[in-house]
Amino acid sequence: MADLVCEGIGKSYRGRGVLRDLDLEVPTGTLTAILGSSGSGKTTLLRVIIGFVEADAGSVSVGGETVAEAGRVHVAPDKRAIGYVAQEGALFPHLSVGENVGFGLARGERRQGARIVQTLELVGLDASYAGRPAHELSGGEQRRVALARALAPHPRIVLLDEPFSGLDAALRADTREAVLHALREEQATAVLVTHDQAEALSMGREVAVLRDGRLAQRAAPSALYRTPADADVASFVGEANLAPGEAAAGHVECALGRLGVANPGLEGPVEVLIRPEQIHMTPANGSAAGAVGAARARVIEHVYYGASTVVRLSLERPPGASLKARVSGQELPAPGEAVELAVLGPVVVFPARAASAAHPSFGTEPDPSSDDPRGGT
Amino acid sequence: MWASRPRRALRGAPLGLLAVCVLVAIVVLAPVGVTIEQALQGGTSAALRSIDASSARTLLLHSVLVAAVASPLAGLLGVTAAWFIERSDLPGRRLWTLLAVAPLTMPLFVTSYAWASIGTLTQGFLGAAGIIAFSYYPIVFLLVAGALRGMDPALEETARSLGLNARRTFFRVILPQLRPALLGGVLLVVLDTLVEFDAFVALKYQTFTVHIYAQYELSFSASGAAALSLFSIVLCVALLFGESWLRGGANYTRVSHGVRRPVTRHRLGMARLPVLAGFLAGAGISVGIPVGTLVYWLTQSSRAGLEGASANIRYLGTATLTSAALGIAGALLALAFALPISLLAVRHRGPLATVLERSTYLSFALPDLVAAISLAYVASHYAPRLYESVVLLVLAEAILFVPFAVVALRATLGQIEPALEDSARSLGLGPVRAFARVTAPLARPGMAAAGVLVFAFVLGDLGTAQVLLPPNLYTLGTEFEANASTVAFAAAAPFAAVLVALSMLAAGVLMNRFGRVRTMGGG
Repeated sequence: MADLVCEGIGKSYRGRGVLRDLDLEVPTGTLTAILGSSGSGKTTLLRVIIGFVEADAGSVSVGGETVAEAGRVHVAPDKRAIGYVAQEGALFPHLSVGENVGFGLARGERRQGARIVQTLELVGLDASYAGRPAHELSGGEQRRVALARALAPHPRIVLLDEPFSGLDAALRADTREAVLHALREEQATAVLVTHDQAEALSMGREVAVLRDGRLAQRAAPSALYRTPADADVASFVGEANLAPGEAAAGHVECALGRLGVANPGLEGPVEVLIRPEQIHMTPANGSAAGAVGAARARVIEHVYYGASTVVRLSLERPPGASLKARVSGQELPAPGEAVELAVLGPVVVFPARAASAAHPSFGTEPDPSSDDPRGGT
Repeated sequence: MWASRPRRALRGAPLGLLAVCVLVAIVVLAPVGVTIEQALQGGTSAALRSIDASSARTLLLHSVLVAAVASPLAGLLGVTAAWFIERSDLPGRRLWTLLAVAPLTMPLFVTSYAWASIGTLTQGFLGAAGIIAFSYYPIVFLLVAGALRGMDPALEETARSLGLNARRTFFRVILPQLRPALLGGVLLVVLDTLVEFDAFVALKYQTFTVHIYAQYELSFSASGAAALSLFSIVLCVALLFGESWLRGGANYTRVSHGVRRPVTRHRLGMARLPVLAGFLAGAGISVGIPVGTLVYWLTQSSRAGLEGASANIRYLGTATLTSAALGIAGALLALAFALPISLLAVRHRGPLATVLERSTYLSFALPDLVAAISLAYVASHYAPRLYESVVLLVLAEAILFVPFAVVALRATLGQIEPALEDSARSLGLGPVRAFARVTAPLARPGMAAAGVLVFAFVLGDLGTAQVLLPPNLYTLGTEFEANASTVAFAAAAPFAAVLVALSMLAAGVLMNRFGRVRTMGGG
């Protein structure tokens, strides 16, 4: 496998910029997840890399060979040796599973069949699948066969376009694991496009966040989640509480008290990111004897997710401000109950945005009357 | 409220629809049944006496030979045109689409007179095979272009990503999936060849069907013609079974339902000029010859001829109105026949649906003359008031052309997600209302295409009209024929001109409607 380098990619349709000056590097043998909402240009980027779309600007090179350079070089898609797994698999309906997998192999190799069996097993399907018609497979099996088909002719890199869309949760997890296993076994350089942050964070060695055709941030999953580049990325890769604050000397003063800062350097008015799982709740005991300066809040409602529960809270000060906490769900304060809040670990701060930019949370909520608590689920 | 509404089976063929389909099949098969009956009534020996074994073999060979050459050629032309128009950056694609559809709606008797008037090269076997291929390739084109539009572009893209160039992608991915559309189209061409009459007479080519006509005109023996038609019925049944056998299980439904995106068109580059030249040549043969000849007739005729032409102009209005009225009535009746049949075939697949659908194709097996005679026979025996009324003619036209309406409707109905009808049913609509409020509005382009196709065929029909048209009426076709057969081409030309103009209009409707589903804001 080889590495992939995209430099300065630009593409617009009818004057509307879909990709703007985009750089991307994928080191040999690693998987990079491209994360973006619909319309962010992620699929267009994939199609530029493989050659279905010609970019207006920039270049693409695979293993050091330039396969596309705007206006100069455009290697045909079939000459690029780039594997492609289309959305929902796109298996050839007139061929069997084995014929699908062997499709890109030379005739001799196709007939001999060893590579077909090998790649089928690689994706966790046994050789008996080879004879079955493609349309009899389940959704998850179709995706696996599509990957096997892409891997069989030893492509230089593999591109996966939303490969798990439309699969139910359990099947999705299984298929995801099988795909990761196969890619790792082949030491494949892979690019996976998705709009699902959990998928991007769990699969990518690196995650590239695409926004309005630009690369907003590229980082390892944990770094992306813990130290996002800005408030938008922060709320896109996970749930985020954002609050105004005042930073000075490695600390920030905000509604939840004085907190340590993970990215020191900013001074003055800032925006503070507190992940819901950073918030720790303790019962307020109904007295004023809580920790000095600790923020107090009232529970509005629960949203139960099984492994964890999200608790929506209404702060005492400033009145009406709300935020979310994610807890493991063993001992839940009831709706209406008063709690004291503490923040675990350092927080991330961003330069304060213009006043017009509304904060996604910590917003003012209508104060629920105490005798009508919106109960948890 | 919900509980009081009995839940009906959503998938099983409803009995009402099935009953309607059986009724339609009986009506459509009536001429075939009568023909078989007449043939078995002892006409067989007389008919066989009329034709000695060796000439029978020759005539048979002629029919089969034309079909064997013309139908693959039509398939090749249709697939080639469809691929370049749907998958390449050929300039002027809309014009080429119109020109690829137009030959189908053009009356074959006009085209064949044009071919015959050119010279000897376009007559005989060469002319017969050529005129069939170039007049009927649009049916392959329409079906294949529709299939191409419906094909998931991701399949071709995947093939390209696996190292196949455009040519190999075509043969290994596209062509196998076009097989049902291609085979269906070629089958229609073969059936048409076997029963074609007017064109072959004009081009002086002897086939089995031409012999049937001669036999009828010689002796006015309906049973003789019927006996000879047995042959084409048997052949038709064999072909219908053969096609479904060839097709096998290859009724490809899309495996995935991914996001649809526009196809990447193949860049012709240097090949653009030769391809354009090819399209120009094809259009020249199929549309240029009849239109050019027509212009020649109109402009180059002698004074006497032109006087004859102007004398005929006063019939033009009445003939046009009669033809149009017949065409519209025939189209509506054929639609009424074809709708339940194609719904059943698309929505409730199974052996019964297949048999009912295929049985409507059997009306193809009858030369139009024979169909008309047998209908006249039925009418004179059981419904004398219908005999020599225009109703009988409309019925005959509808029966003859219902297969085309079924093909056009299937191409559209097959694209409408059954989930839409299921949703309508789940919202409390009965099957008829679900059809009226969901399926029918979506299928409107396909219904228009089916109607227009039948309309054009009725305009281009001569055999049925000559037998069943009430004596006081005349159509564009009969007037053209009356003048053209006396070599008064200038007098025939105005009628042909109106026919060709109408057929171009029909082609314009067809190219935008065939095999399409109504979209937001569209018609």
